[in-house]
Amino acid sequence: MAKIPIQPQADINLEDLLRLKRSERPSEQFWNEFDRELHQRMLQTLVKKDPWYLQVVRAFSGRILQSAAIATAAVLVAMIVVRPAFQSTMQPIYVTDAQASGADVIGASFEVAMTELTLAEATSLPNYDTDVISAEASSSEVNFIRDFGMEQMRIASYDASAYSTDSAHARVAFASTGVASLVY
Amino acid sequence: MAITGAVSKAFAHAEEAPVSERDLDWSVVERVQAGNVGAFDQLVQKYREHIFSVIYNMTSNREDASDLTQETFIKAFQAIARFKGKSSFFTWIYRIAINTTNTFLKKRSRRRYISYENINEEVTTSEIFERLTAKSRSEKGALIHELQEKLNDSLQKLSPKHRIVVVLHEIEGLSHSEIAEITNASVGTVRSRLHYAKQQLQTYLKDYIS
Repeated sequence: MAKIPIQPQADINLEDLLRLKRSERPSEQFWNEFDRELHQRMLQTLVKKDPWYLQVVRAFSGRILQSAAIATAAVLVAMIVVRPAFQSTMQPIYVTDAQASGADVIGASFEVAMTELTLAEATSLPNYDTDVISAEASSSEVNFIRDFGMEQMRIASYDASAYSTDSAHARVAFASTGVASLVY
Repeated sequence: MAITGAVSKAFAHAEEAPVSERDLDWSVVERVQAGNVGAFDQLVQKYREHIFSVIYNMTSNREDASDLTQETFIKAFQAIARFKGKSSFFTWIYRIAINTTNTFLKKRSRRRYISYENINEEVTTSEIFERLTAKSRSEKGALIHELQEKLNDSLQKLSPKHRIVVVLHEIEGLSHSEIAEITNASVGTVRSRLHYAKQQLQTYLKDYIS
């Protein structure tokens, strides 16, 4: 809109201008729409719907609780029914030399190993301090030989220095991509 | 303050509200409180234009004013069971409107676009139109719109507490004591704020008014 300069000497004062604002009135159509919207909102108020976030929280918590209850019940059923049934059907496995594949297992049967386990050994605390597992060592207790194609493997112990040890006779090649690959 | 013609009809309730309208409103409120929800519509019809006018002149935005006016009536509807009639319904609903508007203005980080209502030319013509020194009717119409724009801009420059006093006194035609009751301020404070606000408006509009 082009600005038309107004002469300040025009006989208009501040009160006149403010009175001008009283003539800014919405149309009848506006009020019809206003009444319609207001009635709609008042009806919604009467229904008293909860805010959307409360509805979401309630819905999710209901589902989560329901799921958790079902899962817990399923686990309890599994523990009560399935586990004893599994334990009762557990029998020692007898494997003879003839049954065992000569290529894979050579030596004593599993039964011998089980019967040789004394009570003291069974109740003693397990020792995880083993540093060296030798595939070629004479495993008199278990009495089997498995050829893994390498001489020995050193396992890292709790000693921090062991992590830097690389005596597995395996070559660790670091690819340019940063991914390490173990090559036997 | 002289209020003439259609304006006086629209704003006459404000002068009478504390005396006679108060009892009339209270009887309607009691009906609503008794469960006659439809009676609330009488209060809406009676006060909607005045509430809209206050909010519109506080926000200078037609759509915001419409939303906030609805919100005001919804709040009043929700709280009417707790309304004990210690003040008039008129004062109570104005207070809700002003609090709702002030909350909105605090949340509104920056001014939105301004959308004006059309000016009712019947009133304009009789009040100011003939006083403008522009020659043609179209020029006078353009001047009126420019004045409207400048006045709204100037009102928005005032702080809310000064703006509300100007709006309630100069536009709504309420007395100092009524404004004091609505705004929880003393009559002296209302007078002081009104004086300061009008001084500020005179400064902002010095190029347009005598």
